[in-house]
Amino acid sequence: MRRSTAAAVGTLTGAALIVGVRLSVSAPAVPAAAPPAVDLAGSGQDVAPAPTKKKPADADKDDDSDKGADGGSDGGSSEGEAGGSGLKDGVYKGAAVKNPYGTIQVSIKVEGGKITAADATYPTTADSATINPPAIAALKQSTVKAQSADVDAVSGATFTSESYVKSLQAAIDEANA
Amino acid sequence: MHHAEHVMGTVVSIDLADNLPAPALQAMIGDVCDWLHDVDRRFSTYRDDSEVGRLRRREIDLPDCSADMRHVLEACADLWRSTDGYFDAYAAGPLDPSGYVKGWSVEVASARLAEAGSARHCINAGGDIRARGLSGKGEPWRIGIRHPWEADKLSWVLSITDCAVATSGNYERGDHVFNPRTGSPARGLRSVTVVGPDLALADAYATAALAMGDAGLSWLAKRVADGYESAAVTDDGRAFTTAGLPAAV
Repeated sequence: MRRSTAAAVGTLTGAALIVGVRLSVSAPAVPAAAPPAVDLAGSGQDVAPAPTKKKPADADKDDDSDKGADGGSDGGSSEGEAGGSGLKDGVYKGAAVKNPYGTIQVSIKVEGGKITAADATYPTTADSATINPPAIAALKQSTVKAQSADVDAVSGATFTSESYVKSLQAAIDEANA
Repeated sequence: MHHAEHVMGTVVSIDLADNLPAPALQAMIGDVCDWLHDVDRRFSTYRDDSEVGRLRRREIDLPDCSADMRHVLEACADLWRSTDGYFDAYAAGPLDPSGYVKGWSVEVASARLAEAGSARHCINAGGDIRARGLSGKGEPWRIGIRHPWEADKLSWVLSITDCAVATSGNYERGDHVFNPRTGSPARGLRSVTVVGPDLALADAYATAALAMGDAGLSWLAKRVADGYESAAVTDDGRAFTTAGLPAAV
């Protein structure tokens, strides 16, 4: 049980690191003492005790509240787990982490003892050109051209009552009067 | 029927293309002009007796304000948030909602015309335009965007039916748009045009982008998702357009 808890913490930490790379920002709340990454090869036995938030395992009365293992089925000794990696199948969500760009939450999916998917929710609406792809690429660029054409109205910076008489719009109004 | 009205410190050109009796069209134009003068009286920052003036002097509180004033203040607050603070009705110190009021009043004027039976019209309030239906030629309205250096030339021509076109720039009235982050006049963009469903928002977006400077270009690109296309010219003459800009062929 401790192994599965530690493994879950490890996987979440690993996913957080992956997200850190994807966003090119340092994930702020990754516990420094956590193991470096998920060992997908299956030798990740000697991980450090869970560094955050959990009580030490001696208070094992009501560990149904264990958030690390989804569903809290606490009968799970490691025999039935596939692949020997210590990863239980399921979908795991990490804690929501706040950074200057918004709140990020990672999730991973484990199938057959291996991580088969990792994802993260991250802000898409905030003022974050750093994260959102630079939208300027969506604009067509050229040099400004001058043309004359027959138009119904002219849009431009607001003219005053006085400068109106010199405007193209005044000429249009004149022609339609 | 065509009419040009001096109001709100500028000239509003009203073009009705409906095939209706002249008295009906005249009545519609009269109603629009009355509305615009009414808005001017209530929202002018130049008149001491306007509602804005009384609100500035704290002679009235928010609950005592007209429903229109409460709408305007709420919209300005929403825009302050959605433009990262670059649309700021308090940029110059005391409340000045003019950057929203003009576009909004024309948007309302167009809605009033539609309600009164006009399906084809174009209102141009000093360079900010709201059009509906087809022009008198039976085609989409052709809207020129003024060239930011050559007053008698156009930089683009748009073809629109039911939408708004707003342009902000510093070339007409000098430095009147400020970057609220620095307090200095906006630099980087010479002219910003925004095209979309609502003139009040299009106008506010154009002003906000102008205030942002170069960063306004990428901000504008993101407004496409909300239905607002744009065309902008930088201080050094580069021109940018979004892919969906309804350029005339």
